[in-house]
Amino acid sequence: MLARRGRPAVESAGTTASTIGAMCRILAYLGEPLPLRNLLFDPDNSLVRQSYSPRMMNTFLNLAGFGMQAWDPTSLRPEDPFTYRATTLPSFDHNLRSLSSKLAPTCLVAHVRGVTYSDEAVVAETNLHPFQFLGTRVVLAHNGHLRQFARMRYSLVEHVLPELAQRIEGTTDSEWIYALILSQLDDPYGRPETRELADATAAALRILRAVRAAHGIDTSSPVNLCVSTGRAAVATRFSFDYGWYPPEDEMLETDLPFVSLWYAIGGEYTQRDGDWRMTAGDPPRTVIIASEPLTTDQSSWLEVPEYSMLTAELTPAGIEFETRDLDV
Amino acid sequence: MSDSETVDFLATVPLLEGREEADLVDLARVMRRRTVREGEMLWRQGEEAREMVFIVDGGLSASLHVAGGEVEIGRAGRGETVGEIALLDGREHTMSVCAAETATVLALGRPYFTALLARRDTSSFRLKRRLASLFTAHLRNQLSHLAASLGDGTAGPPAEDAAVALSDPEYCDPPDSKYLRRMATFHDFDPVALWGFLTSGSYAQCGPRRTLLDEWAPSTAYYVTINGAVEKVLVRGNRRIRLGLAGPGRAFGYESLIDGRPSPFTAITRERVLLLVLARDPFEQLFNRDDAISHVFLDVIQRDMVATLRQTLRPHARLAASL
Repeated sequence: MLARRGRPAVESAGTTASTIGAMCRILAYLGEPLPLRNLLFDPDNSLVRQSYSPRMMNTFLNLAGFGMQAWDPTSLRPEDPFTYRATTLPSFDHNLRSLSSKLAPTCLVAHVRGVTYSDEAVVAETNLHPFQFLGTRVVLAHNGHLRQFARMRYSLVEHVLPELAQRIEGTTDSEWIYALILSQLDDPYGRPETRELADATAAALRILRAVRAAHGIDTSSPVNLCVSTGRAAVATRFSFDYGWYPPEDEMLETDLPFVSLWYAIGGEYTQRDGDWRMTAGDPPRTVIIASEPLTTDQSSWLEVPEYSMLTAELTPAGIEFETRDLDV
Repeated sequence: MSDSETVDFLATVPLLEGREEADLVDLARVMRRRTVREGEMLWRQGEEAREMVFIVDGGLSASLHVAGGEVEIGRAGRGETVGEIALLDGREHTMSVCAAETATVLALGRPYFTALLARRDTSSFRLKRRLASLFTAHLRNQLSHLAASLGDGTAGPPAEDAAVALSDPEYCDPPDSKYLRRMATFHDFDPVALWGFLTSGSYAQCGPRRTLLDEWAPSTAYYVTINGAVEKVLVRGNRRIRLGLAGPGRAFGYESLIDGRPSPFTAITRERVLLLVLARDPFEQLFNRDDAISHVFLDVIQRDMVATLRQTLRPHARLAASL
């Protein structure tokens, strides 16, 4: 693990910061207790495999660390998620593999981080997703990057509650987005209803759009988010100014396709005859949201339309699920 | 089925219309005849595509997998082809295909189909044009099913929230050639031919939420998105189905120019856009010529058609999953 202390905060280092990009992979699960290994390791395009062999990113790997938060209703203090973060490669992380065989959460948000191949990128535990400030009940993982974030970072301060701004420890745009969303909630330390969480996420995106405009930033910036409380998840497939790039941009080929997001919804995610599939369920009891389908066979999966927001909530009757156009 | 019967059959296949008999004889030699019993699978959705099939007799059914089962999307019969989309883009099969009734098919492997398109002779150009026409018909058929799900498969009002049509585009200079060369769509093309294609039209910009094409009117131009994104939608009153985006390198507006009918969808700018705009006359010249620039042009259309047909399956799948 590289320590951040003593290194320059490169993403605020003037013009070079505009070239730093992060393209990651995210995964969210909501449903009946499911062994983590069924999501992280076992399928042939599992999240861990997506760190070193993503199928939908031809020019990029996600080797800058792994993080997850998982809620298990049978654990002590079930409202608090189990947290695991490591900058080591998850495919060689025996602790993670061992834990994945033991834990069976009802909600999971997990993330493998990718950064550009640059000596300016900071690989550190403080930059690993999902983010969760102490005492809060909302977590966030981000797949994407805000181009020229260094130019707009401090204009966000006025939109973030001071006590939340003080908790930002890392150098990523993602942690600021997290603080921004928390700041839009009535109670940043409470557990918001699904609708309030969705509204706060949309409000944060509107603030980002306005701040970008104020700084004249008008280049493609994907913001695929997964925000969760342990009972509900809100996910976005979204980009500001999609299709516009700075000249000589090193992320151009990676960003030309709209950043992907998929979901599978149904009864249970299970292995039958060697294949991982989502079974039928009416009402649905399980939903998986992921940057890429967890199997090379995509037939259990549906692609989220571009510029969309998904909301999913775990209720006694099953999963309440909605997809809507996200026009902010 | 004798070789001569196979050749006679191939001469009736719309995709091969106008092909020389000698070509058909060559083709017949590399095709594999197969009988598929009712209910037997030819391939499953998601499997690697190794071949396409020409249906000699009987019928095939194409279906999408949804959680817990399969939903039939369409059927094909004598003279029709199945499986060519996955051969063209090298990806997995889009749908599962099985025999709806006992069928005889001729299977053509990927290398042979690729070779048919890779040549630069007149018959290859003709095949690309036939594919464009057939894919346009496939697209219209798929979209009519989707439109029916909105409760009105025939006619409807223009989009109420659509802003003013692109009546006064702001023409501008071409973009940086370095950017164009880095776009995945244009990677593989000969630079001179690519430049010929990119200078065959005008460039125009417009803002977000502008209607460029209306589903009820023929398109008067062919567009390639250079920057930004255009969304293709079906609109019926206040209901709409989002079909997909035409982002950088993706074309739209050609369907009307190919078959003379109204646009199969409404196209609205989702972001501000920079477009390459080709009016009807230069479009028809490029579409009907057999030279290097037309090769680029027809390949851009073909890639877009394949991507569009795949995109159109997304709302089909969502719809099927909700039934």
